[in-house]
Parts: sequence; C-alpha cells; structure tokens
Amino acid sequence: MSETSSPTNEAPLLDTGVERDLQNVQESGLLDYRSESLPTWCPGCGYYGITHAMTEAINELDIEPHNLVFVSGIGCAGRYPFFMNAYGLHAIHGRAVPMGAGVKIANPDLSVIVVGGDGDGLGIGGGHLSHAIRRNVDITYILFDNGIYGLTKGQTSPTTPQEQITGTHPYGNPDMPLDAVTLGISYRASFVARGYAGQQHDLTPIMRRAFAHKGFSFVVVYTPCVTFDKVNITYENMRGNWKPLPDDYDDGNILEAMKYAMDDTLWHGVFYEEQRPTFHDHERETAEKARS
Amino acid sequence: MSVKTDNASRDVVIAVCGAAGDGSIAAGQILNMAATTMGYHVMNFDSFPAEIRGFGKSVAHSRISRDKALTPGTMVNCLVALDDPHSITELHSLTQDGVVIYDSKPADYHEEDQAVAGWIQPGMIGYGAPLRDLSAQATKSSKSRNIVALGVISYVFGFEPGAFHEAIHRRWSGKSESLREMNVEAFNLGYEYAEANIDKVDPIDFKNITEGHVTDANIVSGNEAAAKACLDANLRLYVGYPITPATKIMEILAKQLPKQGGVVVQSEDEISAICHVIGGGFAGKRSCTATSGPGVCLMTEALNLAVMAEVPCVLINAQRGGPSTGLPTKTEQSDLNLAIYGASGESPRAVLAPANVGECYQITRKAFEVADGFQTPVIVLMDFFLSNRMEDVRWQAEDPGTWGTYEDVLAEPSEEEYKRFAFTESGISPRSYPGMQDLQHPITGLEHTEDSLPAYSGENHTRMMAKRQRKLDKLAREWPGPEVVGPEGDLDVGIISWGSTVGAGKNAIKQLQAKTDARIGGLFPRLVWPLQTDAITEFAGRCEHLVVAETNYTGQFANLVQQVTLREVTRVAEAAARPLPTQIIVDRVQDLL
Repeated sequence: MSETSSPTNEAPLLDTGVERDLQNVQESGLLDYRSESLPTWCPGCGYYGITHAMTEAINELDIEPHNLVFVSGIGCAGRYPFFMNAYGLHAIHGRAVPMGAGVKIANPDLSVIVVGGDGDGLGIGGGHLSHAIRRNVDITYILFDNGIYGLTKGQTSPTTPQEQITGTHPYGNPDMPLDAVTLGISYRASFVARGYAGQQHDLTPIMRRAFAHKGFSFVVVYTPCVTFDKVNITYENMRGNWKPLPDDYDDGNILEAMKYAMDDTLWHGVFYEEQRPTFHDHERETAEKARS
Repeated sequence: MSVKTDNASRDVVIAVCGAAGDGSIAAGQILNMAATTMGYHVMNFDSFPAEIRGFGKSVAHSRISRDKALTPGTMVNCLVALDDPHSITELHSLTQDGVVIYDSKPADYHEEDQAVAGWIQPGMIGYGAPLRDLSAQATKSSKSRNIVALGVISYVFGFEPGAFHEAIHRRWSGKSESLREMNVEAFNLGYEYAEANIDKVDPIDFKNITEGHVTDANIVSGNEAAAKACLDANLRLYVGYPITPATKIMEILAKQLPKQGGVVVQSEDEISAICHVIGGGFAGKRSCTATSGPGVCLMTEALNLAVMAEVPCVLINAQRGGPSTGLPTKTEQSDLNLAIYGASGESPRAVLAPANVGECYQITRKAFEVADGFQTPVIVLMDFFLSNRMEDVRWQAEDPGTWGTYEDVLAEPSEEEYKRFAFTESGISPRSYPGMQDLQHPITGLEHTEDSLPAYSGENHTRMMAKRQRKLDKLAREWPGPEVVGPEGDLDVGIISWGSTVGAGKNAIKQLQAKTDARIGGLFPRLVWPLQTDAITEFAGRCEHLVVAETNYTGQFANLVQQVTLREVTRVAEAAARPLPTQIIVDRVQDLL
C-alpha cells in the first residue's frame, strides 16, 4: 500500500495521546496489511476487533502480503478482502472454503485464510466444512458467528437461538441452532478454537496459533451484530458468561474438548489441536508412489 | 457400406453382441487393436446399459476402414452373436447382405425360437461355428467364445491372424502367460474351424491389403484424448466428482497427473469441484474439472464468478441425455444453451466443441491457452458419443497449433498504480496472482472498478460489460474461421453441424455429392461461442437452403444460426439417444432439392 494515502497521513492531530497511539500502530507494521479501502461495517461491529486481532497475528508471524490470500464468501464478513493489503478472493455465497482450499492446493507456499459468517459457513456452505476438515488442507477458516444474517438486515441464521424474533421469523425461530465449535470437534478438525471479538488480547494468540497450525484450523469467533441483534450475542450478554479454558486444560483430549464445548458456560481458547498429516503431505506421498 | 474395389474391401462395420459379461466389449477391443496394427483406421462406439450387471445388452461396434471414417456407421456388415436372444434384437441394423456369425450349438437354455440362426433373413449370410465347444476346448470354459469368434472373423474377412495374436497378448499383458496362450489357442481354433468348414460367400475381403505393420497408432477414446490433453497442457490441479460419462478423465488423471507434479482432488460435489478449480486458476495454476450436464447445473453459479472475476479455468462437459438425471449412458448435444447462457446476468465465456477423438485432444489442450489468454472460463463440449467412442490416433499428428496461439498477459512486477481490471482496447487487463510481489488485489463477483472495488454505477457497469465482451470478440476474430467444405460459389444446400455431429454432416455431404448433381457444402465450427458471425453470414449468403444438424430436440445451434442470419433454417434435430445417423440428414436434404 502506498505511503502517501495512508489514513494516518491526514491533517495533524491535537496532542491527546491519540497521535502517539497512531504512531505506535504505524511503527508496528500492522498498517502494511491494511488496504486503502476503509471497512464498511457498522460502527461498533465486532468485525473491527476480529480484524485487529487477525492483523496482529499475521504481523507477528511476518507473513508477506503478496503471499497472503484472504478468501471470503458473501455476507458482511465477505467484504473482508477489500480492506486488506493482500490477495483476495471474494467468492460466492457459501463456497469460500473450497475456493480457499483450491488456492492452497494449487500453491502450498501461500498462506490462505478463509473468512465468513455463520450463514455462509453453516447454512448455504455447511456441506463443505466437513470435507475440508477431512482433507486437512492447510488453511485457516475463521467463522464470524454473530447469530444473524446482517448484510440482508436481520434474518434467522443457522446459529440464531430458538424462539428469537427475526425478519424471517416474526413469531420466533422454530429451528434448533447449530454450534460451530462442537461441529468442528465432532468432524475432528485438527485445530478448533473459540474466541470473542470483544476480547482481542485473548483472540490474537488464538489467531496466531491457528495460522501457525499445520492443517485445517477452525476458529469460531463470537461477534456482536450491533445493528440487527439486540438480544443474543450482545456485548452486554457476553460479559460474565465468557471464560478462558482452565490453565490445566488438555487440548489434545477430544472428549474433554466436546465436554467444554457443550457446556453452558461459554469457554474460549483452543479446544483441540492435533498434528496429523495434511492433504499436502499426502499429496507428496501420492506423487512419490505415482513416480515409482 | 463395404465398397468393393479391385476385389478388396475399403470399409466394414462389425458388431459383437452379447449379454453384459459375455465379453463383447473385450472382443471389440482386440479387434480394434488388431485392425490398427494392420494399418487400418478404426472407429468404435460401444453401447451398454447404465447398470453394471444383469441382463442388459452390450454391443461393441467397430468400423474398420482404409480411409479415416467420419462416423461409426449406422448399418452393420457383420453381426457376431455371443448371445442369441440379444442378437436377434440387433438384426434390424444388419445390411441386407450382412453376415451373421453365430454359435452353431447355442446354449440349450434358450427357447427354440430364440436361436439367432432361425431369424436370419433371406439375402443375409450366416456362418455357424461351435463357439461354445471350441471355447471349452481351449480354455475349459465358455467364456472365450468371444475370442473364438474373432478367429472366425479373421479367416472369413482375410484379416491377418498374427495381428490378433499380438492384440490378445497386449490386451491381457497384465495377466499370466498361460492365460494369454489359452486365448490365442481359442482364437486359433476358431480360425481353423472356419478354414475347414466355412464356405465363404460374402463379398467382404481384406486379404492381402494389409497396409503395413503400424505401431505408433493408439486406440483411444475421447475421454482418454482429453485427459492426455490436460497432461500435455501441464495441468496443475484437477478437481472432480464422479459422473458418467466424464469419470474416465478423472481416473486417468488421478493415475498420471501426480507423476508430473499435479494434484487431483475428489471433491464432495460438483460445486466444490469448480470452486477448487477457480481457486487454483486465481492462484495462477492451470486448473480443470470435467463433468456432465447435471454437474454443470451445480457449477453454473461459481462459473459465473470466474467470468466476472476473470479467472482462467477449464470445464469439460461430457454431455449425456437430459433433462435431469436423464439418460446417463446415451449421447446428446443438449447442453449448448447451458454452456453459453447458464448464468445469472449476461456472462460471456468461451465454448469449444471438438468434432472427433483427435480434436478432443487438440481442442482441450487449446482450451487452457484460451482460458489463460482471455482470462475466462472455457467450456469444452464433448458428449457421450465422443467420450466413449474410440479412434486410432497418432499423437504426433494431432497439432493443437491448428487452433491458433494465445498468450497470457501478466502484469509487470514493478507496475505502479496496478489496476487488475484496467480498461484496455482488447478488454484483457494484465493479470497478477498470489505470490507476485506488489501486485496484491482482491477479485470479486460484485461489479467492480478497474481497481477491483465494488461499484454500482451505471457508467462503470456499462464499461465493464463492454470490456468483458471485447475479450470474446477478440477470440472470435483470432480463432481460425469455421471449417467450410464443398464447392465455392452458390450452393443449393449448406449443412451446418457442430461437435460430435460434424462427422455425420460431412458424411452427408459426401454421400449427396455422390448421388446428386446438387451443389452441397457445409460449415463446421469448433468455436461455438462466441459465434464467428461474419463467417456464418457469408456462408449462409451462398446457400439457398440451410440445414443445421445436431442431437438435441429443439435445435439449439439452429436457433443461433437463425438469429445470426435472420433466416429460416431447416432443423435436423433429434434427441433419440443415439449419434445422428447420416441418412437422416441425407433424406432431409433430398426433400429440399
């Protein structure tokens, strides 16, 4: 991104400390990953927090923008690639995961991060998740779970709680919600984590581990939709019911992972991590077998 | 059909008919291999049911000729009956003076009136041999009746037995030496029996006209040719989901592609397949999927993204009978509209249609170049008839360069103010892909600016629509003009056909030229979208009547020709679960004369 048009090069700011903060941000290298386009999300949207945590993690891992690919589906999260300085594939609704897998399989040297909402990933695209996990393609999938269809202005999503009133269910949602974390664990993703957009200092390390993980890493981030959800995932509701996994938690025990994931308390952290051969490892073996 | 010149035949169609499991297809394969080795051309199109086991009828249908054939031929000169009841139902396709080779001691579990010998019509010639007994003598089983029958054919038509011996060894090269020898013995018993007992009265004679021992010809199907094209085009990523009749392409690539560093993925469905492929194309690697109509239905949304975001990728559609699940093992050219228009909005893409097995290789290979060069999805329209028919192909003679040269336009690494979708005269903007430094950009299915940012203004949309269209206009200009045959100047009738029906179209012209004084010509495009409208209009202007032949119900290409030429055309369009017989075109043209 060009220096001259950076958002920080606007008119000088008053000495309120903001200038110093901005200078810190600038020196951090975080802005290298931001494009010239400013996000179009509503003020207060949880996505800003997720973006910051992701950017911090990418920056810490020092991934070069030209080797970084963001792939997204349709929805508010779908716009993500426009706001980042990286290659981006804004795909069609529900198909970000197979598109991202295609990018990574075609060129395993790239870092591929797929982002999408709960409707995109568990509704229309729900069929792809299990297979990408099964294949253990080395990509990170960050599911922005706000429990609502935001871009189309407030309809029921696959994670909207039962009985919630929405645009498409004015008398209450009759369908049981899905929980992405328990799905990820039961499919046996090699990395499953849950984070919260409102708690960046916990989210950044989760992201860092997810990006560094070899294999399919699945990160579910709870994120308030301040405009269309006033009752479910709100900043207020999240306070108190949100705990980090215990210090002695064993992230290699899948039954424990399921127990914590299904608990009434919303635990966050890395629920499960397992190193197993990736799709790319298998492909190297396949190539050897084919040649011999 | 078999024309006798100097007592030597030029052309014979042999059908081997049996119940599924009788070995008709294997017999056909050996016949094809032997004929190719002897220097003849082969065109083979088998017919079998969609079910794997049961009582379905399998027919191996081989045309063996001294000149390259245009069609497999509708009428059969020789029917080999491995199963009598099934063969009785095939007698209708035998020529009036055709030969039936049958088991003179058919299985006793058939009803008396179910012996094929009892159904042979006057004028036809029957040669009986104890196929079952001779088979048992050679291999202690009735399973090698098919090979015994080949021995009879070899003697009767004068085909060199050595070529069959070689073919038997090649066909079972993975099996034991003793099994191969037993089969050679079965063949020899058939040959010797025929030599001693059959009084040859038919006119088919290939004796002493062997065109030399040929080793560089391969008998390949359209699917095999397309798979080889993918390999030779340096395909990096193939993602597919099994579907008849395209599956063979994936099976070949699964075996061969990893040897050259490419990857094959079996996806969970066709949507996932095309999405992986678009991901691969965006990543700058040649990517491809092959499917049939029902799979294309699932892929249309993603394919539309590839048009909008200008991602190179190749989709092979081996068409089959539709609509819906339709007729999985029958041929049809009914996905033309789907290929051209299958999308929301107006979504220009390239559609190429090979006309024979050799072209399945050439054109599929060229499809990758067109995809890269024009930054567009390219659909290759094959069909069951092309996918599964076999022809002798000499690879070094199949030159993809026939179809032009198209270059990939990439951005310079140091480019300042890089705009991925910059407006250019050709419509093609320099492309960059992940890994290329300082050229990062998003791509999107939203209408976008030159900078690839979402934009909804009418002015920008109009310019972008025009940009995407200009790329196709350029392709229509640069792709070689459609093949035009026949005399120059005015024509009484012009025949247009495309894809797998080109052979029947050309064959009809040959037959009509031989039997009438009428001036008949034809136009045969391989680029079926975008249309080369100038060439079509020019050709139409020379024709009093225009006939468009294809295997679909509504005449989908005829509709396009009508649109372009603004005149009524005669449709020879049938959805009859078979390749279009030449005779139907000939009859229709004669009605017009």
